[in-house]
Formats: sequence, C-alpha cells, structure tokens
Amino acid sequence: MTALAHRQGLSVTRHLLITPEPIPEAALVQGRRLSRAAGAAVSFVGVVRGTEADQPIQGLAYEAFARMAEHQLHKLCDEVERRWPVESVRLVHRVGLVKAGEVSLWLEVVAPHRGEAFAACQWLIEELKRVVPIWKKPVP
Amino acid sequence: MRVNVHFYSYLRDLTGCAQVVEELPGGSTLAELRARLDRRFAPLAGWGGATLWAVGLEYQPPAYVLREGDEVSLFPPVQGG
Repeated sequence: MTALAHRQGLSVTRHLLITPEPIPEAALVQGRRLSRAAGAAVSFVGVVRGTEADQPIQGLAYEAFARMAEHQLHKLCDEVERRWPVESVRLVHRVGLVKAGEVSLWLEVVAPHRGEAFAACQWLIEELKRVVPIWKKPVP
Repeated sequence: MRVNVHFYSYLRDLTGCAQVVEELPGGSTLAELRARLDRRFAPLAGWGGATLWAVGLEYQPPAYVLREGDEVSLFPPVQGG
C-alpha cells in the first residue's frame, strides 16, 4: 500500500490513499470518526462494470502518476474545505488490475449537514475525474 | 537545455517508452517540445485525442516556457474513478 497522505488539520481529517490492494470497505466504515457536530456521512463507491462498449471485460487496469495524483487530490481537498464545512474527507483509489465487480474508488465526506456532504462528495468525484492523473484500460 | 519527458497510459504505448530526454534551445515552449516529439515519434503525431501537459506536478499550457531540467509529463485525458 502506498500511503499518500494523512493529515489532521485544525478540525478537518484528510485521508488519501492510492493502493494496488483491494479496498477494505468494511474496515473503512468501521474506522469512521465523527465529532459531536457531525450530522451527515456521505460515501460513494465506484465499481468496475463487467462490460466496455457492450463487450464483456475481465476488468480495468488502472495506472496513476502517483506524486501528481497526490498533489492534485490535496488541492481538491483544499478547495472542498474552502467551499463546505466538512470535517473529514477520506478517499481510496485502487490501481493495477481491478476485476469486474470490484471497488475502484471509495470516498466519504463527513459534514454537519447532508446538503454540504452530498455537494462536496459529488464535486470531489467530478473534479477527480477531470484533473487527477489516473487512467484505465479495459482488460478483455 | 535538457528536459526529461515522461509518457503515461496510451501515449506511452504510442511512443514505446516511458521516458526520454530532449535537448531544446533555451526559451522553448511546451508547444515546441510537442512538435519535436511528434517528429521523433510518428505514432504520437498521429494521436487524434487530446493531450495534457504537466511540468513537475502542475498542469501547464502549451505556451509554458521550459527551463533546464524540467520534468515534463505528457498524457491523455484522465479517467479516474
């Protein structure tokens, strides 16, 4: 596992990880820490589809420019913290071969209210897909 | 001056290598580097998709003026998630 970052700021926990290992969803949920102010935990799980262009595939081979991906993810988290009163952002992205049906991305945002948690989570996913240097190729 | 150029994903497949060193006149831009790379790697010149540039860990536009020792990365649009 390549630990990219774990930052404990004034009040915001940030945990970012790019890893070739299977994403341990249950352990991540188990590891959730909530303050007394937290009222919403929104998570997103990205799963590899078993088809690509209507053809069955074994999975997707993910590749990252890891140092730049870490840097860009931190910039996105900085922006999330400027825009919304989140108290934690945890993101795990898998690289290497991810088989169909397996999890490629796990993301969780914790905030006082659901509106900001949903908004921050969706914004982060969209921006990740726009600027974080990770690529995938179908494996037939 | 010399810069190190790194290729990722489909662009690495097109060039057949992950990294090359390019010698350029001082003051060259990323666009000029691209023209030089297209001459060196014909399949890259034929790539019809978009390409993104980074110098170090930041995205840069084609007009970016290179410096000696820059670490340049060239890659297709990102597809995480």
